Amino acid sequence: MKLLDKAVSIKNHEITASDNLENFYNKIKRRNPDINAFLEIKIEEARLVADKIDQRIKSGEEVGKLAGLVIGIKSNINVEDFKITAASKTLENYFGSYDATVIERIKKEDGIIIGMTNMDEFAAGSSTETSYFGYTDNPAAPGRIPGGSSGGSAAAIAAGLCDLSLGSDTGGSIRNPASHCGVMAFKPTYGVVSRQGLLDLAMSFDQIGPFAQDTGGIAMMLDVITGYDPKECTTIDWNVPAFTKITDLEDEKAQDALKGMKLGVVEQFLEVSDDKIVNIIEDTVQEMGELGVELVELSFDYIELCLPTYYLINYVEFFSATRKYDGRKYGYKIEDVCGEEVLRRIHIGSYISQKEYSGKYYNKALQARSLIRKEINKLLRDVDAIVGPTVPKLPHKLGTSLEPMEMYAYDVLTVIANLAGIPAASIKAGEVNSIPVGLQIQAKPLDDAKILQIMAGFHQTL
Amino acid sequence: MKCGLEIHVQLETDSKLFCDCHTNYQEAPPNTNICYVCLNQPGAKPYPPNQEAMEGAIKIALMLACDIADDVTYFLRKHYNYPDLPSGYQRTSIPIGYGGDLNGVRIREVHIEEDPGQYKPDLGVVDFNRSGIPLIEIVTEPDMNSPEEARTFMRELIRVLEYSGNARGEGTMRADVNISLEGGKRVEIKNINSIKGAYKALKFEMVRQKNLLKRGVKVTQETRAFLEAQMITVSMRLKEEAEDYRYIPDPDLPPMMAEEEQIEGIREKMPEPPHIKTKRFIEEYGIEEEHAKVMTSELELANAFEEVVKEIEPKFAALWMRDELKRVLYYNKMSFAESGIEPPQIIELLELIKDKKVTTKAAQRIIENMPKKSTTIKATTAEAKAEALSPTIIAEQMGLIGIADEKNVLKAVKKSIEENPQAVSDYKEGKKEALNYLVGQVMRITRGKAEPDKTVKMLKELI
Repeated sequence: MKLLDKAVSIKNHEITASDNLENFYNKIKRRNPDINAFLEIKIEEARLVADKIDQRIKSGEEVGKLAGLVIGIKSNINVEDFKITAASKTLENYFGSYDATVIERIKKEDGIIIGMTNMDEFAAGSSTETSYFGYTDNPAAPGRIPGGSSGGSAAAIAAGLCDLSLGSDTGGSIRNPASHCGVMAFKPTYGVVSRQGLLDLAMSFDQIGPFAQDTGGIAMMLDVITGYDPKECTTIDWNVPAFTKITDLEDEKAQDALKGMKLGVVEQFLEVSDDKIVNIIEDTVQEMGELGVELVELSFDYIELCLPTYYLINYVEFFSATRKYDGRKYGYKIEDVCGEEVLRRIHIGSYISQKEYSGKYYNKALQARSLIRKEINKLLRDVDAIVGPTVPKLPHKLGTSLEPMEMYAYDVLTVIANLAGIPAASIKAGEVNSIPVGLQIQAKPLDDAKILQIMAGFHQTL
Repeated sequence: MKCGLEIHVQLETDSKLFCDCHTNYQEAPPNTNICYVCLNQPGAKPYPPNQEAMEGAIKIALMLACDIADDVTYFLRKHYNYPDLPSGYQRTSIPIGYGGDLNGVRIREVHIEEDPGQYKPDLGVVDFNRSGIPLIEIVTEPDMNSPEEARTFMRELIRVLEYSGNARGEGTMRADVNISLEGGKRVEIKNINSIKGAYKALKFEMVRQKNLLKRGVKVTQETRAFLEAQMITVSMRLKEEAEDYRYIPDPDLPPMMAEEEQIEGIREKMPEPPHIKTKRFIEEYGIEEEHAKVMTSELELANAFEEVVKEIEPKFAALWMRDELKRVLYYNKMSFAESGIEPPQIIELLELIKDKKVTTKAAQRIIENMPKKSTTIKATTAEAKAEALSPTIIAEQMGLIGIADEKNVLKAVKKSIEENPQAVSDYKEGKKEALNYLVGQVMRITRGKAEPDKTVKMLKELI
């Protein structure tokens, strides 16, 4: 059942919010112990919310856009009274004291928040293996990593443990696990969704976005969470499109929207990817061509610059962001209890932000970032979107030990959107030995609706 | 010696720099004016900078004759680890104004930053009420050559800040001073909280460094702390140990640009700075420098003076306002604004004196009564208040109208001589103060209507 239809059914009282909740809760009880997608569940509070929504529907009251839908939240987004751990021992017992702007909006639209999902510690990873609370299994490819850092949110959708979930994306943390788990996910243009209440990884890259099984779900959540926030300076004041309208079309009309679109394929994005992945992406692109899409070959010469640029900025901003975890206020001093990767980033961030090195690393990285942004926007000028693989490699088996650079290599295709601040989404393109492979769609800043249009049209063909 | 200053004063705003919390931190119980933003709890982001604070900083920079940065302005994160800093960094802007001047001391830059909380090491507690209150920092070039010059400059600077109406006073001041003597390196002194403290610290440091140099000991570059209770400075850290703040632009606060229009709007509305006003008063009204300084010591007083001199001869007005009005204000520990006295009342009073309707002595008593009236009357309308404060009405109520004629004064003089033989003989024996006593008696008898100089003359003649 499409999520848009389900939302209507709940509003029409054909399905109750309570039944929807219990259904998911039973699945969570059954499957979460193995998958470890959720770190915390608050069923009693959720039941109260669901019950109220049902009563309001019964008495003919208006209810919100997300009425009765069950939602999981990544553990780095503040929800009042939930444990906001960022999957770190540092914040092991830290309870959110306020709602992030996105949470305020979800609650206002009657979404039911059921729990907090697993992630890489402080979102610093691409596998969800670095969580202090243990790894998350990949429901679409058991025994493999679900990707990360929003691995819990992706796995929860893939295993059908909730209707919608939120993640955060700093260098691919939404798109990467969506690709590995075979679900849909969307990283909006930087500034389209308020970060107020999101724990920082790298402030100039971080952006919150949704996971869902279908484009209608993505659209519904985007309708709720996007928009200017007067209390968050980096949000953009613009006319937010009605995302749900774009996706709520008959199949044929959705496909029609693709006709005449120009989609770019970047040669270098394929060159860095595994052959098996490239095959699937090429097949997918071929199919799109058959739907009337015009395909354009593009070239991007700066791909080798992307990872170093991204990581240098990430380290410095993360170092700054973690200074508050000094052990005085939140239990543990971060350096005393954190994992290897978090510690590595803090140490390198501290080292390269020293006065004597500022010209050498950080400022150079900022310059490189400007260059990458300029070049990507140049490529996007002549096309509606760029399509290609989301992740260049298949997810490794849980427990495999990887060198940091091998780990970072997962991110090479996703960091570009964060460096440039552009919108990007991942949608399942196919499978290699029953392991999902994602197609990434990237567009110009504030062309978020166009990506959704492509997702909707393409989704109907699957 | 050469001395430069870095002076921080709180800006006067209703809410903090990056959130909506109130700024009355001194009145509020500890840790009540706080929210997740000024506590920098995990996930919290700053709200857009308080515009009142930003405009206040521009105004102060303009009043200090600074150029306003025409490029983008942004906030930096200055990292350091201390219990009063909930995020581990302090947000501080790049210069908003630069290249200014105040009485010959060059202003290097003016910028804005956020106040940290208040850490009480003896109790091991932090009060975050102050966290996030906007501060303005004014940095001078090392243009002062003595502790006295530094003190004069700071007094003048505080006056400019008071004039701006956008800054809190000396009570919120924190200063770092740097001093270097010929043949020695630059020493910075931190932890200074008053003009007096800065003066004492500089005095101490000057003597300390002179003694070192005299003995042939090198003065090394270092940071020292001022211990207020003991009025001495002690070493904090040497240059090599200087803290690295790892400045980075704050990614949560996008760059801003002050519009030319906005700057011009502020320039038009800003008050004339006191040091410039002083010069103008001297030139325009021909009053003495010392009088001009007193007249400009408070913006409202300066404005009142300019109103008064439309009707009254400036030198007479300045003399009288400096001697009598300031005496009464000082006695009541009030500013002119607080006294409730308005220019028309001063004009009225000075005209009463000029027209010889009251004696100067009576005028003194009238003005003494004005601030009291102003604070105790319950007049609700402006007219009722003006009437209550009218010098003529006060004079009538107190029976002070009129000047006694010569006959009546003579009568009173004779009576006071008769009634006070002891004072008379004291005076004859050379005790000059006995005469003052007799003058007082004459005043009492005439209810202050005798003119003091005539009274003195008559007393001398008759004794």
